[in-house]
Amino acid sequence: MATIATDHYRAYTPRPFTRAERDSVTILFGGLHWRIERIIQAVLESSGYKAQILPVATKQDLLTGRETADIGQCCPTSFTTGNLVNFLKKESKQVGVEEVNEKYVYLTAGSCGACRFGQYHASYELALRNSGLERFRMFLMAQDNLDQNMGDGLDLNLPMTLGCLWGIFCTDLVQDLEYQVRPYEVLPGQTEAVVKESVEYLYTVFRNRPKMSPKKSVLWHLTTPYFVRAMREVHKKFSEIEVDRLRVKPKVKITGEFYLQTVEGDPNYNIHRWLEAEGAEVYPAAITIWMDYLLRLGLQRFEDYSGIEKHARLKLGLGRVAQGIYRLTVSRLRRAMGDLPHESPSQFELRRLAAPYFHRNLDGGEGDMLVGKTLWAYHKKKAHMICELSPYSCMPNTMSIGAMAGVIGKYPEILYAPLEIKGDAEVHALSRCQMILTEAKKRAQREFDEALTRTGLSVDEVRAYIQMHPAMRKATYAIPHDGTAAGTAANLVLHVAKKLGR
Amino acid sequence: MGFLTALGVDPRNVVFSSDTSEEQGRQFGKGRGTVDCCYPVKCISGHYGELVFGQKQKLDILLSPMIYNLPSFLSGHVAKSLTCPRVMAAPENIKAGFIKEQDAFAEAGIQYVTPFVSLDEPLLVPKQLFETMREALPGLTYEETGRAVEAGFRALRDFSHRLRKKSREVLEWCARENRACLMVIARPYHMDPGIGHEIEVDLQAYGYPILWMQYFPIDDDLMQWAFGEDIRAGHIKSAFDIRDVWPSSYSSNTNEILWGAKVAARIPWIACVVRMSSYECGMDQPTYTPVQQIVERSGTLFFSFQDLDSTKPSGSVKIRVETITHYLEKYAGTIIAKKKAAMPAGCPFLPAA
Repeated sequence: MATIATDHYRAYTPRPFTRAERDSVTILFGGLHWRIERIIQAVLESSGYKAQILPVATKQDLLTGRETADIGQCCPTSFTTGNLVNFLKKESKQVGVEEVNEKYVYLTAGSCGACRFGQYHASYELALRNSGLERFRMFLMAQDNLDQNMGDGLDLNLPMTLGCLWGIFCTDLVQDLEYQVRPYEVLPGQTEAVVKESVEYLYTVFRNRPKMSPKKSVLWHLTTPYFVRAMREVHKKFSEIEVDRLRVKPKVKITGEFYLQTVEGDPNYNIHRWLEAEGAEVYPAAITIWMDYLLRLGLQRFEDYSGIEKHARLKLGLGRVAQGIYRLTVSRLRRAMGDLPHESPSQFELRRLAAPYFHRNLDGGEGDMLVGKTLWAYHKKKAHMICELSPYSCMPNTMSIGAMAGVIGKYPEILYAPLEIKGDAEVHALSRCQMILTEAKKRAQREFDEALTRTGLSVDEVRAYIQMHPAMRKATYAIPHDGTAAGTAANLVLHVAKKLGR
Repeated sequence: MGFLTALGVDPRNVVFSSDTSEEQGRQFGKGRGTVDCCYPVKCISGHYGELVFGQKQKLDILLSPMIYNLPSFLSGHVAKSLTCPRVMAAPENIKAGFIKEQDAFAEAGIQYVTPFVSLDEPLLVPKQLFETMREALPGLTYEETGRAVEAGFRALRDFSHRLRKKSREVLEWCARENRACLMVIARPYHMDPGIGHEIEVDLQAYGYPILWMQYFPIDDDLMQWAFGEDIRAGHIKSAFDIRDVWPSSYSSNTNEILWGAKVAARIPWIACVVRMSSYECGMDQPTYTPVQQIVERSGTLFFSFQDLDSTKPSGSVKIRVETITHYLEKYAGTIIAKKKAAMPAGCPFLPAA
């Protein structure tokens, strides 16, 4: 039986990270995809911090996460806690625990609401304690006034926040184009090389952003051609890649829980690369769209309070303006990329489509957006198949997936693959995905054949036309999508037919 | 009922589904589930099915609100009072199982009404309920809805007050008689016999009074006595502040669970805490260790029934109950004495010295 302790239990409170420690302490972060992580590193470094990206989480991290924190975690919690613990343990072996406690701090987002994402701190804390690292400093970037006792070491100022935001915009666009191009590259590995070069180039761009005051920084970010020029340069790099877009491939849109749809590696069975290897063109999930959704969700509060709370309408109006500026900024950068990356769907349209199945205010995770995105992709022929990545035991995501049963009941023709990701049941999840992908492949082929029949063209005729027009072999050649076909090859046939006047 | 009767609905025309049971799920909810999740949400299919298919008299409306946040006694002292994302979205999720093939509600001539309500935001509730319910109740006015909402909140307050008063009487009796009581720390749905499996009833049969954390007395004298030292030491700002043990205080029931553990640790006559948690409860998962630590560091006995599901594990519950009562019999006196020795002066349950 436990005896009475002298003091009551208190939650973990890290020692503050002080300004004086900036030169000697490295900020650890991770959990996104490598492109944006590299840019965040540039932003942190340009603000005077030492920053290090954690390695991509592995299955070993999953096991460590399960071992060291409370039972029943959702799989993103296990992966991220295990990832941090294993990194720190490895470092500790080399330099000792005390040195690790002094040398590193960990920074993560962790407060979005009632789902476990808002409570990750408890798992991290327990995992660190169970690993003998209880003195390690971990800080959560809160969205409210919760006192995380961070100290004055990290100043989350406006220039830094805007840098991260613009970094997300730019890398989302790079990632989107990368996935559009790689399945069709003529020279294997060329896209990979161009993307790496582009991200390193963007690293320099963000590292060398001019320093300025917070107020000036807002105006500068909104008006400067600095990033537009950078994205034009990236576009130019992509134009070197030769593609063969007559390869018939199903287009698979990735949706799901934020962490799983964003990372690329063991936490989601490397699904992006697996789908590509299986012959698909992947339509990745942009962080930009998720943030647009969060903006919409936040503004809905003012919609609801209009007529009840003073100034709610005004706040709503101002919020809508901010959201408009947000979308315009993304569009501006997208234009610099030749409008090639997919456009962001209107949040209002997603809300309207999801409304019969999922209430717009249901909070946690991605809410009604998951239902809306599936219907949007289906109605507008944006993809042949939806692959929804659902973490094992994820509370909000299971609810959206459950509601999708109603959608599939009404539209049984939607190829929808909700995959429960446990981290260690890869064969099961991938074979389930493969079954639906097989159907998607058939659908893409049928669509391509129909495009040929409709236009009276043969594959050889289309190929010959492309050979005569070298610009069309460039990765940066834009093929219009008018909503009649989802597949790239089918759209190319329709485009050539139009050019030929058929 | 306070809300509905104030709207003029005859109480005899309000039908509640029965307590949760496996039989209910088998008979009415089979084949309606759309996703594997915790039992408290999964079992709703059975409740819906019973109301749609299992009534002698046809129902007109199936009312199942999507509750976004809850009116908690901790509101204002914590970040938010949100409900669990699964509980909140359950009406949409369960609905899918009733419309995926045919619209079972429409076929039964039932209007499915699911207002989205923010019960911790009383100003917003009339608007939310009016917008959804006016279609189901033709002629309903906004003013009428507002009055009914007030009546509903009043009924809820009265109910909570009555139970808190009763809990205080239990604690006063325990203090007077120097007897032990038990506190149940669980979510509100564990009061449903089919979800909580009446574990606390089995314990009560051994003569130990049971307190539910949700209805713990929150009178000022008691709160100041229990938490005054923590406030003065700067650990917390008020008796209902839980930042000292749980920084991310977003979830209403999670917040109350953490607070319940804190209060149990400070009251000498609560010699034992019984924690209940359902299978795959993502809200409870991160709280397992903090709650246990809070309770055990005070020397209070802690027992936990985790992964509760549809079937009552009667055998293991019986053994656990016997274990708990054995420990209580053996140690309750010592625990009370030690906690009393550590408690601050001026306990409102004891006569002034």
